[in-house]
Amino acid sequence: MLIEQIIVQGAISGGVYALLALGFTLVYGVSGVVNLAHGSYYMLAAYMFFVLGTFGFFGSDPMMASILALIVAVIFVGAVGGITYRLAIHPVIGDEIAVLVVTVSLAVVFQQLMLLVFGVSFPRVSWPKGSFLLESASIFGISVEYSLILAFVVSLVLFAGLMIFILRTKIGKAMRAVSQDREVAMLMGINTKRLYMLTMVISAMLAALAGIFITTSIEKSTGSWLWFRPLTLSFSIVILGGLGSIKGSLIGSFIVSFAEKTVSIMVPEGGAIVGVVPLAVIIAVLLIRPKGLFGKRIEMEE
Amino acid sequence: MLIGYLRRAYSSFAAHVFDVPSRLMAFLFFMILLLVPAAGLGPYYLNIVIYANVLAIFAASWDLLVGRTGQISLGHALFFGIGGYSSALLFKYFALSVWITIPIALAIGALAALLIGFPCLRVKGPYLALVTMAFPLIIASTVKWSPLIEIFGGEFGIRGFPGFFPFLPVLQQRTAEYYFTLVLLFVSSVLIYKTANSKTGIVFMSILDDELASKACGINVTRYKLLSFTICGLFGSLAGVVQAGLLKVANPPMFELSLSFVPIIVTFLGGIGTIYGPIVGAYIYAILDRYILSDLVPRVLRENFQLTSLPSGYEFSKLLIFTLIVLILVIKWPRGVSRFTTDKLEDLEEARDLDERGPRIWKRYKKKKSSTPA
Repeated sequence: MLIEQIIVQGAISGGVYALLALGFTLVYGVSGVVNLAHGSYYMLAAYMFFVLGTFGFFGSDPMMASILALIVAVIFVGAVGGITYRLAIHPVIGDEIAVLVVTVSLAVVFQQLMLLVFGVSFPRVSWPKGSFLLESASIFGISVEYSLILAFVVSLVLFAGLMIFILRTKIGKAMRAVSQDREVAMLMGINTKRLYMLTMVISAMLAALAGIFITTSIEKSTGSWLWFRPLTLSFSIVILGGLGSIKGSLIGSFIVSFAEKTVSIMVPEGGAIVGVVPLAVIIAVLLIRPKGLFGKRIEMEE
Repeated sequence: MLIGYLRRAYSSFAAHVFDVPSRLMAFLFFMILLLVPAAGLGPYYLNIVIYANVLAIFAASWDLLVGRTGQISLGHALFFGIGGYSSALLFKYFALSVWITIPIALAIGALAALLIGFPCLRVKGPYLALVTMAFPLIIASTVKWSPLIEIFGGEFGIRGFPGFFPFLPVLQQRTAEYYFTLVLLFVSSVLIYKTANSKTGIVFMSILDDELASKACGINVTRYKLLSFTICGLFGSLAGVVQAGLLKVANPPMFELSLSFVPIIVTFLGGIGTIYGPIVGAYIYAILDRYILSDLVPRVLRENFQLTSLPSGYEFSKLLIFTLIVLILVIKWPRGVSRFTTDKLEDLEEARDLDERGPRIWKRYKKKKSSTPA
């Protein structure tokens, strides 16, 4: 029973985590930016979804309205990602310390803005009442909400779609080229500035989707501190899989998610220390195998 | 002979300090700091300056590691918390006085830095930043974990130990604490500054500039990085112990992420990589945070607009203002306040020949010496 619970729940949240980590690893792979504000896109999306869902801009049909709210929230967050990249991150790109400081500051700015607007309350975020998404299906005797299954399926489909986008399209080719060698790619006529911005927008949209899926089906509420857990999660996944490796981030997200579920179910009072798991994964991986599972060797000498 | 010695000491001091505007500024800065309690400030305002002193130690040690050695650490709160908690635990289990716990906590802090630095420094750049960020958070969760509440006191932490000067009345206690922290700040900033400008410090700089090249020059890079990490941990935990002794509490916020960001904000305010920058930045930060935004602005708002209570979002907008300042500083003005000031000051002074330097006393002394036949 316990084992089944771990496997089913772990697999489903692992799918959503993959979405979160993919954006992070894409941005790192293409532009070399470690985006510590990645989690704030997740948080912003949850808030946007809450706002759009509550005030009902999209007609009376609740299900349709939710879906429209999801789409608008994701596009909005993507725009925010692009704008913040252009205004704040791009001017300091190339300077590691400055990039870290700027992205952390951005995360704190978003957090404080949300605190200012919404206060310390926890707005409830969920799918409309009575929709089939809130009912549960039974998988191997474990009841799982349909919303989670939807999140899992959408995540995997998107993941596959992005893989195709990166491997088959011209822009994807440009991304891979830039991640291999920035200077040469620039010489070949790739507009790196625009490409970085595009990558950032894609990454922010992925994080936003993951944010809406996780907050609506697992946490059921949002909060301004919510950016931190997704950040540590995506970081641990990406480090486990190898920074810049897409296959690694997919497998890493399942490993981390299984580990989390194991801790929260097996350890007494485990729920309180689930947040430690991704951090412990980061440390363990860097100590044992710094390049991650599939990463290229982290160059100690550049 | 004594008078001659004193005169020589004075003239050498004057030549080194009075003639270089930026050094003169630093000297005046410390002189003003010495006189702060004489200004008749209440305990509240003294507390602000005491806080600034502790913060300055904390940030200067971060600057040595990040600004001078180039090893990005986003988890400096780790040492702060380790210092505070080890002092508190020593008091709780062995009933040691706060004074005795200081050296022990420093040793623990340095040891922790050594133990953590050894594996951490295998990685570099963003990886290092994230590993160091992870450590204090793990410890914070452990400290808050309910099965360990007997030892660490859970969310409330360990409280109830006497301060540094429990035998004095309140205002004198603050004054004594002020001078104590000022002395600590002076000693540790001089030590950090001297380290940063010694031979070892030059090696640190070489690691910052080009790790591979310094490795090629036969420098044991790992050892120097570890040394820098240990010094950083030592002074970081010093700030932690002092803060715990001043507030008489060691609690989980000492490990919090926001505390790890404080030295970053402070250092960028003052100017990264200068060591004296963070000290200036700490005062700016403390005055901005604890005086202007927490005391002055609310008072003015209350008096001019007849508000009974502040708007509810006010507390949140403080950190917002700070982070926006940092963002703009990093993007537009990355050299910081102190470096900007010293540059301006140095520009005021015409560049003179080195022999020409020094005030009149120094010149007279030199002339006399040269006129005597060999």
